[in-house]
Amino acid sequence: MASIDITNVHKVYGRTPAVRGLDLSVEDGSFLVILGPSGCGKSTLLRMIAGLEDITAGEIAIDGRVVNDIEPGRRGCAMVFQNYALYPHMTVAENVGYALKVAGIRQPERARRVARVAETLGLGDLLERKPAQLSGGQRQRVAMGRAMVREPGIFLFDEPLSNLDAKLRIQMRLEIKRLHRELKTTSVFVTHDQVEAMTLADRLVVMNQGLIEQVGPPAEVFRHPVSRFVANFLGSPPMNFLPTAIDRRGRAVVEGGHVPWPELCFDLPSGAAIEIGLRPGDLSLVAQAGADDVLPFDPEILEDLGNELHLHGSIGEISFAVALPAATLVPAGRLGLRAAPGAVHAFRREDGRRVEPRARSNPPAHESGEAAWRSLSLSFT
Amino acid sequence: MTDTTVFAAGAPPRAIPRIRLSTVEPWLYLAPALAVVVLWVYVPLLQAFELSFYQWNMLPRATPRFVGLDNYRNLLGLPDMRQAVVNTILYTIGLLPLSVGIPLAVALVTGNLGGPLRNFYRALIFVPMIVAPIVAAILWRWLLNEDHGLVNAWLAGAGLAKVGFLSDPDVALWTLVWITGWKLIGFSTLLFAAADSAINPTYIEAARMDGASGWQIVRDIRLPLMSPTILLITMMTILFGAQWSFVYINALTGGGPLRSTTNVFHVMWEYGFKTMAAGWSTAAGMLVFVVFGLIALGCLALMRRLAVYDE
Ligand SMILES: Nc1ncnc2c1ncn2[C@@H]1O[C@H](COP(=O)(O)OP(=O)(O)OP(=O)(O)O)[C@@H](O)[C@H]1O
Ligand SMILES: [Mg+2]
Repeated sequence: MASIDITNVHKVYGRTPAVRGLDLSVEDGSFLVILGPSGCGKSTLLRMIAGLEDITAGEIAIDGRVVNDIEPGRRGCAMVFQNYALYPHMTVAENVGYALKVAGIRQPERARRVARVAETLGLGDLLERKPAQLSGGQRQRVAMGRAMVREPGIFLFDEPLSNLDAKLRIQMRLEIKRLHRELKTTSVFVTHDQVEAMTLADRLVVMNQGLIEQVGPPAEVFRHPVSRFVANFLGSPPMNFLPTAIDRRGRAVVEGGHVPWPELCFDLPSGAAIEIGLRPGDLSLVAQAGADDVLPFDPEILEDLGNELHLHGSIGEISFAVALPAATLVPAGRLGLRAAPGAVHAFRREDGRRVEPRARSNPPAHESGEAAWRSLSLSFT
Repeated sequence: MTDTTVFAAGAPPRAIPRIRLSTVEPWLYLAPALAVVVLWVYVPLLQAFELSFYQWNMLPRATPRFVGLDNYRNLLGLPDMRQAVVNTILYTIGLLPLSVGIPLAVALVTGNLGGPLRNFYRALIFVPMIVAPIVAAILWRWLLNEDHGLVNAWLAGAGLAKVGFLSDPDVALWTLVWITGWKLIGFSTLLFAAADSAINPTYIEAARMDGASGWQIVRDIRLPLMSPTILLITMMTILFGAQWSFVYINALTGGGPLRSTTNVFHVMWEYGFKTMAAGWSTAAGMLVFVVFGLIALGCLALMRRLAVYDE
């Protein structure tokens, strides 16, 4: 069990910066997930914590001790690699026990500890096999066992589930969650799968181009993205963005002069450009497109996912997606979309930062006042 | 299976029998290669086997005389042959450190170096490989000359006694081993370096995470994963090492002094092409063929048992 403190860490490969001044602290016993698009520096950050990559500038401390110059094996971290990296010439037992062997622990003690880990992970029958004789899921489990056997203070995972098929991935995800609940070992888990991120994390970090965009509990990051990037990155289908301009009273005006949410006022100068973000699941269909709070929507493609319908189309030039309950009957022709004001996210056009509407003095009476939060489903189909 | 026939299906029947190309075709393609192998390997091998039971001085007018197993009996009783066998073993043992030990060490050490430095060292060690054997032999003869050679001049400079590198019966064999090995180091280093850099780096990272030291990584990860190449080069040295030194024996010592540098291949050559004793030469050849064949089988079996392969 250990905490990690990362202060102003940089990593430069030759001339390419991979991590550009990053601060992060991971509490003892927490499960931190780092999420971000490919190439944003997730692995690099993880490998710097592990000690496999030099730190160009800044400091990483584990349990308050700066570890910049400490060998990977002495940092108290264990890592699960994406390709598992099981030693091909050793049996499962030897793979799991290798860390103990190099630590000079005697064979009987070693065998006991390997057996204990094997039992936790259900590897008992596989101990004498070579990695080549295992299935993907079994290899994954052995890799976990190899990390667990030393009882490290920190687990580091670099996309450990990405080589598994969908079903096994869910199973292993639950298993990792279960192990974390039992062992309470501080874990840092890198992924670009948002379902994994949302389900595993106590705290979620969204990275972009070597920097942290947002840190927080996953639900908070999902419901309150601090930037257009985070909003766009989380959620499937991704959030819809509608360009609007601010009028003299601070309201968002859609192209064509509509003011769909008159009750939302922003403290921005008149003419400022913002983008209104709407999650597909927060939109509801209305048949008539006439009213002022209804956005005119031209549907194009309907995807039936079984448990949900995804309707893709456009509002003017902008493509939009709507997620609907499976039983919805979608009428043909032009439709209207409506979203509760509570579901509206707004981002400044120039830097993509979130802007909040001014606190309302008198809550306007609108028809579905209670629905604003309940309708926010974490839908990830 | 669809049989390709000379005539398209449905063509009017003719009197000529249909040739089934599909059965003949593969053999047609193989024929040139087979002809070469048969003509240059198997026929001579069988002829050599036959000749080993005859006495013949290779003159066209002389008729070979059948002597049964005499050639073999005489050879096995000959002190020359015994000496050659012992020397062959010495050559092989002496070559192993040069063809396996040093190159392996160089590959492992330079494997950790990065960038241009690594390539520089590898180029340096590869140079002997590209020197023609006979040129190498002559260069070494000059360097090791007892009276005017550079090496003896250095030894004298360091206050040491002269060494008869090619004339002292106790030293000459090891000199030839060194020259043969010197030529091999570069090639082996190249193969080992290739094997080392083919190791998936995440194994080494995993071992570092497990807390293994540099030496433990070499012993537990890098060496085992290089084992196919190590075994291959060891096997090649055992099977061919004595042959590789033939050029240098022939060019530098002619088997002397006092037959101290001869080996079975040189003896075979002497019988065959110096004393023109075809029977003895071929009998020696058959013995060498059988013995090395058995060793090769043993090595292959060992390799299958010991080598570990990454998927
Ligand atoms: N050894 C290296 N040499 C040079 N550049 C590198 C090296 N490793 C990574 N990079 C660069 O650093 C940046 C971050 O890479 P990193 O591997 O951390 O991305 P990532 O977020 O893990 O991506 P992915 O999700 O694809 O694994 C990338 O632009 C990459 O090209
Ligand atoms: Mg990565």
